[in-house]
Amino acid sequence: MTKSVRWQLVAAVVITFVFVAPILWMVLAAFKTINDIYAIPPVWVPDFTYLDNFKLLLSENWPFLLNSTIVTLSATALCLAFALPCAFGLVYFQFGAKNFLADWILSTRMMPPIAAAVPLYMVFNGAGMLDTMPALIIAYAGFNLPFAVWVAMSFFRNIPKEIIEAARIEGCGWFQTFRIVALPLAKSGIATVATFVFIFAWNELLLALFLTTREAKTFPVVISSFSTVTKTYWELISAATIIQILPPVIFTILMQRHIVSGLTMGAVKN
Amino acid sequence: MGEIVLKDVEKSFGDVSVLRDINLTIKDGEFVVFVGPSGCGKSTLLRMITGLETVSGGQVVIDGEDITHTKPSSRGLAMVFQSYALFPHISVRDNIGFGLKIAGLPKAEIDAKVAQASGILGLDALLDRKPRELSGGQQQRVAIGRAIVREPAAFLFDEPLSNLDAALRVQMRIELIRLHERLATTMIYVTHDQVEAMTMADRIVVLEGGDIQQFDTPIALYDRPVNKFVAGFIGSPKMNFMEASPGPDGTVQVKGGPALKVPGLDPARMTGRMTVGIRPEHIRYAHDAGDLTGKILVEEQLGSDAFLYVEVEGIGMVTVRAVGERDFHSHQTVHLSLPPETCHVFDESDLRINEN
Ligand SMILES: Nc1ncnc2c1ncn2[C@@H]1O[C@H](COP(=O)(O)OP(=O)(O)OP(=O)(O)O)[C@@H](O)[C@H]1O
Ligand SMILES: [Mg+2]
Repeated sequence: MTKSVRWQLVAAVVITFVFVAPILWMVLAAFKTINDIYAIPPVWVPDFTYLDNFKLLLSENWPFLLNSTIVTLSATALCLAFALPCAFGLVYFQFGAKNFLADWILSTRMMPPIAAAVPLYMVFNGAGMLDTMPALIIAYAGFNLPFAVWVAMSFFRNIPKEIIEAARIEGCGWFQTFRIVALPLAKSGIATVATFVFIFAWNELLLALFLTTREAKTFPVVISSFSTVTKTYWELISAATIIQILPPVIFTILMQRHIVSGLTMGAVKN
Repeated sequence: MGEIVLKDVEKSFGDVSVLRDINLTIKDGEFVVFVGPSGCGKSTLLRMITGLETVSGGQVVIDGEDITHTKPSSRGLAMVFQSYALFPHISVRDNIGFGLKIAGLPKAEIDAKVAQASGILGLDALLDRKPRELSGGQQQRVAIGRAIVREPAAFLFDEPLSNLDAALRVQMRIELIRLHERLATTMIYVTHDQVEAMTMADRIVVLEGGDIQQFDTPIALYDRPVNKFVAGFIGSPKMNFMEASPGPDGTVQVKGGPALKVPGLDPARMTGRMTVGIRPEHIRYAHDAGDLTGKILVEEQLGSDAFLYVEVEGIGMVTVRAVGERDFHSHQTVHLSLPPETCHVFDESDLRINEN
């Protein structure tokens, strides 16, 4: 091992540690009592068979975990259901204000979500949808649409034009071309978009705080409630955070298999 | 059936007019080749027939039915692309059967037709592979297979062989000719390649600058080109052109050369400035005497032919095709004669004015 490689290794370990340390601390804290968390000298290695934090957390809050799951999966599905056909049309249809429309869609992304919080509250209030999951699903899907459309467009653009044309000559209408040819070829793009929307919806806190009170509360809202004016329940926060970060990690790992490059290799000769 | 008629077809992209006054009648079962220099609109014309490109004016009629505004999927045509455009995510078998499946045919029938096509094209062993696992020639065969199983009204090819190496190109050319004989379906074929055009076509459309220059059989284009462009475009090496003017007694006076009595030339149609054209194989050459005297700059010896590039004073470079000739070499002096009956005369607007 040369000297420079050794230094690179050391640097890599240090940097990794800096990023992993909080997570590590949190994992350890999840298995401690509140007294152990504050103990001096610190209890470095807790008893990993101590699961009371998790039991307490889930026994009271499992409905909200379920809410989070439903909202996240539905928002991801809804967002894709609108974004993919929209992107396909923007790439392949010929019409006047095509580029303007695409830019306009992107421009709606420039607004920070907080700016929409109050209007959204009023709209959903008017519609009688406050504290319902559909409200969150619509809001999350909507916020991610511009991004999803743009990413999907770039993936559709990468499909060689002739393949789409061949499908049409072979007898496919636009919808069949989209479903049978374009979607499978844009698979990696869809996986990318889905991953992003999933993570956004799963972790979103701000709108959920605004739009829900009891019934439709999501898990991040629950976590935030563990920090009260009088006391912060670090042991519950830690346990909840572990549960919170697991699904995105699993989802990303699952999707990563589909994010393969070179899918269109051999389709056309260049 | 597959008679294709284009009536006054035009195409412009924005303000740019790409094709004008296209009138063509392609007979059922005919093999028609579109040739022309790059950018002349061959692909655009083909794509308008398929419906992939909209038509700016005029009509496209297939078998008496106006399909100008019909969508591509309903035209019953098949196309083979230069880039093959196979569906990369499905097997060769599914690629070939794709159109049949879309049309909703029963599986047994699809399998039978795919098997038949793959037999014709020698793809039997490759049916379960993905397109990327095939060579270029094999991919092109799959693309042709995908086209033939559907028994379309017509096949459209856009430079299908230009990505293949020379040997494979010759082989595929022969296969396509045999395929056409066997299927007797209308084929429209776009190419840059002279040899493909001459050997495959029943009739050739020569396009240039958005206009049809001539639509005729290969031999008619070669022997009786309507204008200087077609004369120069068809034939390799190119026809020789020499400046000329009206001479005495109804002859054509080649500038720096002989006065030629070209048969079938009406002196009334002569213009002050004319061009005489003669193909390289029609020029007579000799060591001792002739109308013109020049020096061989380069001798290209192919065995079957020798191409002599001769510099003639006052005329410029003249190409001579000497069939089987072994006896003329670079730097030698050569005497050339121009047999008038093989000469073409073009007037000042480059139209051919001798009749024969
Ligand atoms: N989508 C388009 N928008 C604008 N101009 C176009 C478009 N497609 C083609 N053109 C123009 O139309 C003309 C004809 O193009 P076309 O592709 O038909 O030529 P071609 O004869 O097939 O050339 P090549 O032999 O190089 O394939 C070209 O000048 C080209 O620049
Ligand atoms: Mg072209």
